[in-house]
Formats: sequence, structure tokens, C-alpha cells
Amino acid sequence: MNQTNVRGRRWGAALLALLCAIAVVLSMAVPSNAQAMEIAKCTARPNADSGSDVLGGTETRITWEGQATDSESLQSISLTLPAGTGYSLDQARATILTGEDHMTRVSVPTTFSSDGETITATFSEPTDAGGYYRLEIYGVVFPTAGGDMPIQATCVLADGSQEQVGSSTIAVTGVSVTKQLTNWLEDQPWVQAWNSVKFLKLFFNPILLVSSFPVVLQGFFMALAIVVIAFPLAIPLGLLLSFMRMSKFGILRGLGSLYVNIVRGTPVFLQIYIAFFGLPLAGVQIPPFPLGIIVLAMNSAAYQCEIYRAGIQSISKGQFEAARSLGMNGAQTMAFVIIPQTVRRVLPTLTNEFILLYKDTSMLAAVGVMEVVMYAKTIVASTGSITPYIVAALFYLVITLPLAKVVGKLEKKLANNDTGSGPSSMSRKERRAAKKTAKHESLVDRRIDLPDANASAEAVEVSPERFSSM
Amino acid sequence: MKIKKIGILVAAGVLAAALGLFGCSSSSSSSSSAQSAASSSSATTTSAGYTLQKAGTLTIATSPDFPPFENLENGQYVGLDIEIGKAVAEKLGLTPEFKTLQFDAILPAIAAGGQADCGISGFTVDPEREKTVDFSDSYYIDDQAIAVMKDSSFTSEGIDSQLNNANVTIAVQSGTSGEEYVQENYPNAKCQAYGNSTDAFAAMQAGQANAVCTNKAVVQNMLADAYSDAQIVKNVATGEEYAIAVSKDNPQLTAAIDQALKELKDDGTIDSLINEYL
Repeated sequence: MNQTNVRGRRWGAALLALLCAIAVVLSMAVPSNAQAMEIAKCTARPNADSGSDVLGGTETRITWEGQATDSESLQSISLTLPAGTGYSLDQARATILTGEDHMTRVSVPTTFSSDGETITATFSEPTDAGGYYRLEIYGVVFPTAGGDMPIQATCVLADGSQEQVGSSTIAVTGVSVTKQLTNWLEDQPWVQAWNSVKFLKLFFNPILLVSSFPVVLQGFFMALAIVVIAFPLAIPLGLLLSFMRMSKFGILRGLGSLYVNIVRGTPVFLQIYIAFFGLPLAGVQIPPFPLGIIVLAMNSAAYQCEIYRAGIQSISKGQFEAARSLGMNGAQTMAFVIIPQTVRRVLPTLTNEFILLYKDTSMLAAVGVMEVVMYAKTIVASTGSITPYIVAALFYLVITLPLAKVVGKLEKKLANNDTGSGPSSMSRKERRAAKKTAKHESLVDRRIDLPDANASAEAVEVSPERFSSM
Repeated sequence: MKIKKIGILVAAGVLAAALGLFGCSSSSSSSSSAQSAASSSSATTTSAGYTLQKAGTLTIATSPDFPPFENLENGQYVGLDIEIGKAVAEKLGLTPEFKTLQFDAILPAIAAGGQADCGISGFTVDPEREKTVDFSDSYYIDDQAIAVMKDSSFTSEGIDSQLNNANVTIAVQSGTSGEEYVQENYPNAKCQAYGNSTDAFAAMQAGQANAVCTNKAVVQNMLADAYSDAQIVKNVATGEEYAIAVSKDNPQLTAAIDQALKELKDDGTIDSLINEYL
């Protein structure tokens, strides 16, 4: 069995060799038609701030690869770039790749020369026959208008005859408005003066501020979409958990506490890692965007649970008793009496929770969700400047600052309402002071629990200073 | 013994002084390094003319998630780059001190100054990167490789057209030459960047990505250790030269590192390290 196999393989090899030989003979027999060289690839390195686009008017590098026919050795290869294309020969490189999978590099002494749009790589001596050639030209600037750029290749064979290799195209995107703006900025003397200060250049480079804005903006929409879906999802889940935690049944109470304690006791970063790298191993395949929403919603639900629980338990016991005496059952009491009062009380804390959740979307950058930080990171990595992070910070502030203002307003309103409705242990003066601090602290603080739910209803009666510590 | 040491010290001092004098005569570069030394108060200027974050210490930034070049084993930095960093520091008469930074944060940190003297983290010399930092001479040449899971439908035959497809996701490490290779050669595929190569492989195993593209030695190492259920479908002889990144404000340090690397090459240290780790 084994032997026949081997024999079969030998026959196959012999046949293949024969075919190759025939092919070679044929190709030599009709030299006029045979291509001496074939283009293997011709690409330009992407030069947009992110993604695969090749932009006009911006430096890029062309990599051209071609395979010479087995019998051909070359004197030179020429590439003709489209009219109006700039280039530099300083870093130009020619390499010959040999071996079965072109993994061995032979660097050949090459001189690069140019004549208008044509770049010629002349090898110091005719190369070995049948080589695989790679030419790299740096500092190539395609015309700003963009379009399909034809690259014409010709080669000179060892016998001195010139031959067309063929043409390939590189799709070049026209320069965008922002790119034109940055190009204009680059030439401005005040920009150059500004950037000559190292600190300003690293943190507030005007060119990068402009160029990273549209890129990071895409991430901004992504982050907004995540939080706008995740937060409402967390509301019913949080309410459910809060009812579980206040349940008469020990099992429900235990389950609710277990969930809340585990989720709040571990970093959201770790939860994201477990969900993104652990779940798929267990056979659960969810695309990154919905998975990110689920993780953040589940995380937020645990925090919201505590907000609702404290909010509900802060309603005076008298309210429950009054509702019951009117003949309402437990569910009716909750739905028509307690919850409406709770909503008003938890609104500021809930807004804070929204702000926190929005900021937490940045953690998803670690697992490849393309949000604000991720986009900023890619530009930082390619430019070595911190400026894109500053742009990212602006995209967070544009949401968090107005919301913080809203929290302040809500707290004020709540305090005023409370003055009219219930008894308060605070004097007017104290309340005003509390309001002042509330404004300052609302954004700064991390999550702090609401008052302990087991305390008596009297003591938890919500007063502005309670919310100010959220 | 003691006398010998003093003798060496004196010799080093004389040499350093000579270098210093030499540095002063070449006007522009030395003045810029003097400026940077003055601006960051914590940095110290050595007698050899280069500045250091901490006197007597070569602070090296690295991202230890790139075995066999650098990773952490029991809290210790190990790998080829780490050994080269140590050897270079020894040649310069300094104590090496490694500092962990995310890969894509190292070059900005080196360019900004204040965190590390140099970066050794499998950096490929690249004209684009050379706009922000200086590179030493190269100490290793690497290629790119693309790996897929063995049970996937990808085959090395015609792999380029299989990968350059809108429903293919290729995981890369953010800011690496592998990322650029994917963007340039597979523009139709989705190029998904992760903070480090370990995460890129974890994502492929988890099914979040179809393939991983990164430096060949790293792929080989990953396949040999943790991901025996993956395979290489394509090697690309990109011939990337690994080098040490140094701030542009510190050309004397680059020169000193070049000298140290040359000595390490000549005495065979680098070759034996490469044989040991790769």
C-alpha cells in the first residue's frame, strides 16, 4: 500500500517535470510572445489616519513585485508613475526573493535613477535567471485629485532588449476637506511656531486636532450608540434586581445580592475580557457591538439596582400605609404611589450613572470595539503625538459636561420640592451649602451607595445632601 | 583588583571626556541635547554627552506581550530584546531598568521624553517612524506571518484572495507593521487591532477574527506554545529590521547604543542570543 503510494507519487513528479520541461521549451520556442516578467503585486501603503485608503497629496510607499520567467535575467526594471506624482529615491530599495515561498531575501546592489515620471532600478550586474523582484519606493505623493493611478512597468533583459511588463493600477482617494485643511495648516508660519514648542506639539498639535477630528467622530457615534442602547436595557434589569433584593423570599434576595455584589465587586474591564474572550470559547458567538452593549447593560444594572432600592426605601413608610388603607394591593401601591415618587428622587443619581456608563464605553477599546479611544489610539500609534487623545477627551466632555449641568438642575429642583412637601431637619442655609457642594461633586465622585436600606424610613428621607454624595 | 577597576574608570573617563569634546565641536546636535536636559530637571547628562532619565540607569520601555522577544515569566522580563537591552546597558556601564508600556504608547513616550531612555520592543525601522524617533542599527531581521485556526476553511493555496474579502476579519497588534501589511494588501478585509499580540490570538481562537498577522517569530512562538490548533498559511519576507528607538533629542545615546550593538555583533553575543531564543 505504502509502496504503491510512493511509486504513484514518483510517477506524478516525473510527469510534472516533463510538463515543466515542455512548458520551458515552448516558452523558449516562441520568445516574441512570451512575457519575460509578470507582475505579482503593486500596492501603496495606506496613508489615511486610519483604514486602508491611499490618499492623494500625501506621502505613501509603493511596493511593486514581479516574477521573471525561469530563463530571464534582468539588467533593470523601470516603473512609470502617472503624471504629477512626486517621489523620492532616498529610501528606494530593490530586493530579490528566492526559495520556494520567496522567503529568502537577496539584496542586490542597485542604483536608482529617474527621468521625469519614470524610475529605473539598475542592477550592478545581470541578476540570476527567474528571480522574484520587489521594488519599494518611498515618499510617493499621488496627485491630490485621486483616481485610479496606472503604474507602467518595463524591464531590460540581460541581452539589452527592452520589454513591457504590464500595467497595474492603484486606487487613490481624492484628498478630503480635512486633509486639504491640514495641508494648508502645515504651511502656516504660526502653526510651525506653535509646533516648535514640544509640549504644544505633543498635546495640542493643530494639524492633528483637525485631522483626527473626523476619525474620532466615527468612534463618538459608536460610543453614543452603545450607551443609548445599553442604558435603557439596564433599567428594567435594575428594577427587577432591586425588587429581588427587597423580596420576602430569601432565595430571591440571595440571588439578587449575589449578582449585585459580584458585578460591583469586579472591574468592568475584567468583565469585558471574560465576555469577549471567554464566551466564544464556550461556544457562544456574539458580534462585538451587541456583546459590548450586553456587558455594559448588565454591569450598569447592578449599580442601578442599588439606586432604585435606596430610592424606593427612602419613601416614607406612611405612604405605604396610606395606600394600603385606601384598599390598594402591594402591586398597585408600588405602581401608583411609590414608583412615581421614586423616579423624581433617583433621577439625578441615574443621570450620573448614565455619565459613568458613557465613560465606561472606552474600556471596550481593549477588545477591538471601534469607539472613541480606539480610533484615537490608532492615530496616536501612527503619529506618536498625544493630540488625538485630547480630541477624544473633548468627545467625552461634550456629553458629560451638559449632563452634569442637568444633574445640578435636577438636584436643585428636588431640594425645592422637598422643602414644600416633607419635614426636613435642615435649615435653609444648610441646604444652600449642600447644593453648592452637590454641583461640584456630582461629576467627580465614583459610585457611592445610597443610604443603607435597612435604616428606618424616617432617617432615609431624601434630602439634598444625600444626593450630593452620589 | 581595585587598582585595575580604577584604571578602567580613569580610561573610561578620558574616553568620555574626549567624546564630550568631540560632541561640543559639532554644533547643532549637542546644543539641542543640552536644551532638553535643561528642560526636564530629572534627566541627567552623562559625561559621554547623552542624557539619561536616571543617573547610572538605562531606562528601557518595552511591551512584554511579544514572546519570544519580550514577555513576563513569573514577573521577570525575559526574551531576546530583554537580553539585548541588558547587554547594551552593560556595554554602556549602566544598570538596565525595564518599564512596561503598551506597544503603541512606547514611541510617543520616547518622543515626548521623561519616561524612558530607549524602547526595545521588536520595533521595525520605518521611515514613517523615523520622523518621530531615531533608530539604532538593527540587531535582528524578521518577516511577517499569517496564522489561521487549523479547523478553518483557509488554505495556503490562493490565500491572498481568500483573505481579501469583506467577511474576513484579520486580528493585528495596534501600531505594528503587521497592521500596515494587512491594510495595504487586504484592503477589503476588516483589520481588527488589539492592544497586544496575545489578545489578537485570543480573539482568533474565540472566533472574533479569522486570522492573525504579526511578526513571524512571534507567530511561530505562539503556535508552539499556546495555539497548537492554529497554523501558518502565509509567510511574507518583508525583511523588517528590528532596532532600538531613541529620542531625537539624544543622538549621542543612539551613537553609544550603535557602538555597543556593533561590539555585541562582533563578539558573537547577538548571534548566540538569537540562537537561544529563536
